[in-house]
Order: sequence, then C-alpha cells, then structure tokens
Amino acid sequence: MSTFWLKIVASDHVFFNGSCEALVVPAHDGEVGILPHREAMILAIQEGELRFRTPESNGQWQKAVVGLGIVQVANNRVTVVVDTAERPEDIDEVRARQALERAQEQMRQKQSLREFKMSQASMVRAIARLKGKRESEYKNI
Amino acid sequence: MANAREILNRMHSVQDTRKITNAMYLIASTKLKKSRKLLEETEPYFYTLQSLIQRILRHMPDVEHFYFDTRKEVPADKRSRGLIVITGDKGLAGAYNHNVLKIAHQWMESGQNNHLYVVGELGRQYFASRHIPVEEQFHYTVQNPTMHRARLISSSVLEDYEEKRLDEVWILYTQMVNSMKMEAQLMQLLPLKREDFSKITVPAGAYQEDIRMVPSPAEVMNHVVPNYVTGFIFGALVESFCSEQNARMMAMQSASDNASALLNDLSVEYNRVRQAAITQEITEVVGGARAQRKKGKG
Repeated sequence: MSTFWLKIVASDHVFFNGSCEALVVPAHDGEVGILPHREAMILAIQEGELRFRTPESNGQWQKAVVGLGIVQVANNRVTVVVDTAERPEDIDEVRARQALERAQEQMRQKQSLREFKMSQASMVRAIARLKGKRESEYKNI
Repeated sequence: MANAREILNRMHSVQDTRKITNAMYLIASTKLKKSRKLLEETEPYFYTLQSLIQRILRHMPDVEHFYFDTRKEVPADKRSRGLIVITGDKGLAGAYNHNVLKIAHQWMESGQNNHLYVVGELGRQYFASRHIPVEEQFHYTVQNPTMHRARLISSSVLEDYEEKRLDEVWILYTQMVNSMKMEAQLMQLLPLKREDFSKITVPAGAYQEDIRMVPSPAEVMNHVVPNYVTGFIFGALVESFCSEQNARMMAMQSASDNASALLNDLSVEYNRVRQAAITQEITEVVGGARAQRKKGKG
C-alpha cells in the first residue's frame, strides 16, 4: 500500500514522524480521513482522538488524544501541529477527572465571558482525554 | 598605600561576593539545563507553527477576515496598541532585561495609546516605578512556562482585540539565537499581515498551488489564529526563559572571573604591603639597636 509522510508535532514534543498509510483526525464538523496523495488542504482540528496506521503496525490503528491544532496536507506530506498529543495509555485518568470536576465547578459560578470560555475549553479538553482513555481501556477487556 | 589590614578586609569581601556569584552561576546552569530541554522539545512546534501560518497566509484567498482587518478607519492617533512584554523575575542577568525594556520604551514612543501586558516581576516593577500603567496584572512568574499560562495570556489579549479595545497586538521576547547569543525580538501578532509575503513575486504563468481550506477559509482562520497566538506566546515564553537563564549564567560566570582576577591583584598588593611593613620593622629594630650600642660606647 502506498504511504505518505506524517509528522505530528505537539507543543512539548514531536509525537510522531514517519510514514503512514491512513490518518483520521477530529475536525470541527466530524472526523476526516486522509489517505496518500490527497489534494493540498488545510484543516483546523479540535480536541479529540486522532488515529493513524503505519506500514509496520499490520493494520493496527495507533491512537492519540490531541488538543486544538492545524493539519496541513501538501505534496503527500501531512503535518499536524497540535498543542497537546498523548497516547491513551499515558493519560492520567484521575488528573483528567479532577480537571473535569474543576471546570464544571467553575462553569457553575458567575464568570466573565472570557472566564467562561476558558473553563469551557478546559472542560472540553478533560472530556476528550477521559473519553480517549476509557475507549482504549474497553478495547483491552 | 593602604595598610595590610584594609587590603585583607577588601579581600574577604571580594571572596564573599565571589561565593554568591559562583552559587548563582551553579543554580543558573542547572536551571539552564532544564530550560534547554524544554526549548529543544518546543522548538519544532514553534517553528512548524510559524511556517504553517506563513504558508496559509501565502495561499490565503483574498477574503475579508477579522484577523486581517488592519482597521484603517481608526486614525493613527486613536489607535490603541497592546504589547506583551516578557522580562525576567529577577535581575543580575547581564543585559537581558535592559535590552527588552529598551525596546519596550522605543515601541511606546512610536505610538500613543499603549497598553502593556507585562509578564515577569522585574518588568512589572520597572513600569510601576515609572508610573507607566500596566494593562492587566499578569501575576505570573516567567519560571516554568506552561501551555496553561500561554492560554491565559492569549485569551485575555484576544478578548481585548475582538472587542476592539486593541487595534494591534505586539509581542516582545528574547530569542536564543545560539548558546552565546540572545536577541530581543519585537513581533506583531495581530492583525496578521499579508504584505509580508507579497514580496515574493510569482512569475507569470507559473502554476499557483491552490490549497483547499476545509470547511471554508474564514472558518479555518477562526480556529487557527487563536491557536497560533497561543502557540506563539508559549514558544516566546520558553525562548525567553531559556535566554534568561543563559544570560544569568554568563553574567555570573564573568562576575566570578572578575572577582578572581581582583583577588589575584589584591593578594599581590597585600604581599607587597606586608613585605614593606616587615622591612620597615627590621630597619627600625636595627636602627634602634645601633643607636643603643653607640650610646653604650659613648
């Protein structure tokens, strides 16, 4: 199967850099799949689960929980720039749940619009991380 | 010539100062190791993000968008401009803080309605002592830059920009060019400038690559630009943090070296003074003894 070069850059590390057969990213209006030789495009992605298949993984999908970011497709190279990227098994579920509770608590209080947006964003992040974590655990059972 | 005791006192004080600068050098060098690692991990993100945005701007179809709006209707004397200044929390870092503050001053002189967003204790105190109002109290330290901090800063700046309290947003940070050289950088974050890339002239007839933006260019920009601002601020925080530690390490190293050189000179002088005192004492003793002998004979 033909491949394309995939580079996933998070703000604190380069998450993945290698060839890839297929990629699915969480866009704002649903998931978008990217296969080799796709036309040049730029896509904004949101918090959620990103998955990709490499030639070495024998049809197994690798997963990552990502934050807000940008995907660029050009000349059969895909660059994903996100603020965070974690493997589901690296996510600390307790911390994610605490962050969710904290965000929910803040949302209940009277806040300025900016504070509301901030806590909304952190709630979305916490939910995305928890979801990514739980889904990977159910698969293992 | 000062007497031996004075020189000895001076030597002790220089020695004590050297102990302090040496300790600060060691602290800065361990912190630098940590910040270097952070910088190394962040640099791919910082540079990829910038090149991505430049690419988007190059290929952006000519659409009206909020983040491109230069607000020409606002006259020059009414334009309000915001500057995010990143300084250190502490001094004793060579010219690091001075370079940043000098550029901040020049920037402030080039416009009238200035709003400062200061990150770092030293900058805050500097502006407070000059009675220059600081827009928002960022009570953050510049130690340990995190994405969370960057999100807080960018959300408050973006809110001001969206509500037209700010017409321009600038950022001033220090970039690590290499391990010996740091450079203060002044950048305009918003509105995004398209002119920067129009310099590249496309030969007539050349195939202009068309990039599709999903779902629409405006929608992509809505999501990408806040993300870009946050990412840029985070990268700038990391670069500044690393530069500060590097500047402090270099400043403390040269301070320790100077102290050693001074001690060397002082010890030479001390020995000379001591020798002179001994010689003088011997001369006095000999002279006294001779006088006594003469007296005895006579």
